[in-house]
Amino acid sequence: MNIIGELFGKSPFGSLLQHTKKVYECVKLVKPLMQAVLEEDYKQVRELQDRVSKLEYEADVVKHEIRSNLPRRFFLPVNRDELDNFLKCEDKIADGVEDFAVVLMIRETKIHPDLKEGFLDYVNQIVKVSELLMNAAEEMVNLAETSFSGAEAESVLDSIRGLGEEEWKADRMEREIARTIYSLEAQLDPITIIFYEKILVTLGRIANEAENTGDLLRQMIVKG
Amino acid sequence: MAWNIGANDVANSMAASVGSKVISIKGAIIAAGLCEFAGAVLVGSHVTDTVRKGIVSPEALVCGTGAGEVNAAALLAIGMTSALLAAAIWLNIATWMGMPVSTTHSIVGAVAGFGIVAAGFSCVNWGKMGQIVASWFISPVAGGILAFILFKLINKCILGRERPARAALKGAPLIVFIVTVVVALATLYKGLKHIIQGIEWLTGSWAVVIAIGLGVMCAGFSAVFIRRALADKTRLSIPEQLEHVERIFAPIVIATSCSVAFAHGANDVANAIGPLAAVVHILTCGTIVMKVAVPFWVLALGGIGIVLGLATFGYRVMATVGEKITQLTPSRGVAANIAAAITVLACTRLKLPVSTTHTLVGAILGIGIARGLGAVNKDVTKSIFSSWFITVPAAALIAVILFLLGKVFLLSTFIEIIQSAAAG
Repeated sequence: MNIIGELFGKSPFGSLLQHTKKVYECVKLVKPLMQAVLEEDYKQVRELQDRVSKLEYEADVVKHEIRSNLPRRFFLPVNRDELDNFLKCEDKIADGVEDFAVVLMIRETKIHPDLKEGFLDYVNQIVKVSELLMNAAEEMVNLAETSFSGAEAESVLDSIRGLGEEEWKADRMEREIARTIYSLEAQLDPITIIFYEKILVTLGRIANEAENTGDLLRQMIVKG
Repeated sequence: MAWNIGANDVANSMAASVGSKVISIKGAIIAAGLCEFAGAVLVGSHVTDTVRKGIVSPEALVCGTGAGEVNAAALLAIGMTSALLAAAIWLNIATWMGMPVSTTHSIVGAVAGFGIVAAGFSCVNWGKMGQIVASWFISPVAGGILAFILFKLINKCILGRERPARAALKGAPLIVFIVTVVVALATLYKGLKHIIQGIEWLTGSWAVVIAIGLGVMCAGFSAVFIRRALADKTRLSIPEQLEHVERIFAPIVIATSCSVAFAHGANDVANAIGPLAAVVHILTCGTIVMKVAVPFWVLALGGIGIVLGLATFGYRVMATVGEKITQLTPSRGVAANIAAAITVLACTRLKLPVSTTHTLVGAILGIGIARGLGAVNKDVTKSIFSSWFITVPAAALIAVILFLLGKVFLLSTFIEIIQSAAAG
């Protein structure tokens, strides 16, 4: 009955932060996954894939909760569509990690010694790109506090400025590894090559989605 | 009526404090009780005058009914009593039906209602009514615009800075200054004459000087505390500084909530006391001419009623509102409260009865537009409009019925009382 009570809906930004944290948990498992494969510890790979799967599901739950708490009648400090797109894109990061984990899990692929360093470097770069985005996205609640403007917003925009370049570096590394793989093709069986490709593609997707999410975060701040 | 006001409305004045969890509900009730009472007795006479004789002009009643002055006085007394009862009845019906309802709109509708039936259309002061209805539109909008500007300023000058804690060292005392000056000015400027005799010198331009002086004093005090709390925090990360700044705003939220409670008491006590003051005057003096100021004890009675309502029922209402309003962090609460307090106090000094709740809603919506809140339900504006269009006619209708009943059964009784009062 009290009209002031009816004024407020559930702020999505707390839940958005929660979603970001879950996705970050997924991202943190990328390097352990790669290391497990490099050490041929396939039991560890299966365990990690299990964890990723659970985390990805939990992120989905948060995503659905955010969507269901934002009917059209609420007025938000940012554009609703941009918030929705950001959420969708961030979710795809978690999806990408899961796809990567599944690829590693379904076949006990051995990494050729000449490729180990390349893969490790590539994974480090992917994680670097993702962490750049995740650290910025974790400022979501502080951004809401300062109404997506001022020094805090500037600082977040600054931190995601480098995303594009880092993602481009990742792309270049991917191409290098691919060239190395094909230079070794005589020593590798076709199915292993297929799986190397799957690994590269799923990893690349993670970085891509991180970059796209960064773009959408920028739009949320700038266009409001 | 006063009890009803205390039970339902007062919770909204302290909502920002309770919602941001800077004060316990018990503390909020005590603070609100004190401030509502203070507002009612210190500044309540202005709007009370409007309700007791501004809407239905007693003189017009005489001409309109063509009756003798005693008859007209009796009719006025019956009418005002009916209006009071009608508003109280409608409040309870609406609450029982779960509809949001405003005490201000109920009483104004009821008084206008009986006025039309008692002596025809011309007996109601339509000019004043027009002003009042206009103020019902303008007060939420004004609250919204003020809150928008205030929050944008707070955001730009304090929260958005590279070092929010450092900016708050100067900004927060300034806010304290503004709040103090506004409340002091609203109370002192050409006011207080009905309580303390012989202090005309206090209420003129001296009032401005004293208000500013008080403002500087309070700002100075607050600056000391703020400096102690924030001076060593200006090198932390932005999020940590923001947290400290919000903490500094906490006592300011309480102070501004008290201002809203003060303003609410000043504006809304009239809803309960205005008609009563008219009836008391007629039955004790036997005349319909009301040049005498509203007696202090009448205002105090209203104030006590409000406090009682708050103390008994207000606890539960405040708890409910407090749970739902958590998005209103201290920085937002301060902006909303100041905007509401300034608007309601201004309307009170302009002798216009307005709804504090609707003004607060306007203020909160204003902050939402300034991107300060996570999710604001803009459909609430529909609720407000519909409550106007239902409440005013409904209260008027009930008042009319009661008035006609009273006219039939009680007219002679009232006439006797008035004649003896006029004679004695």
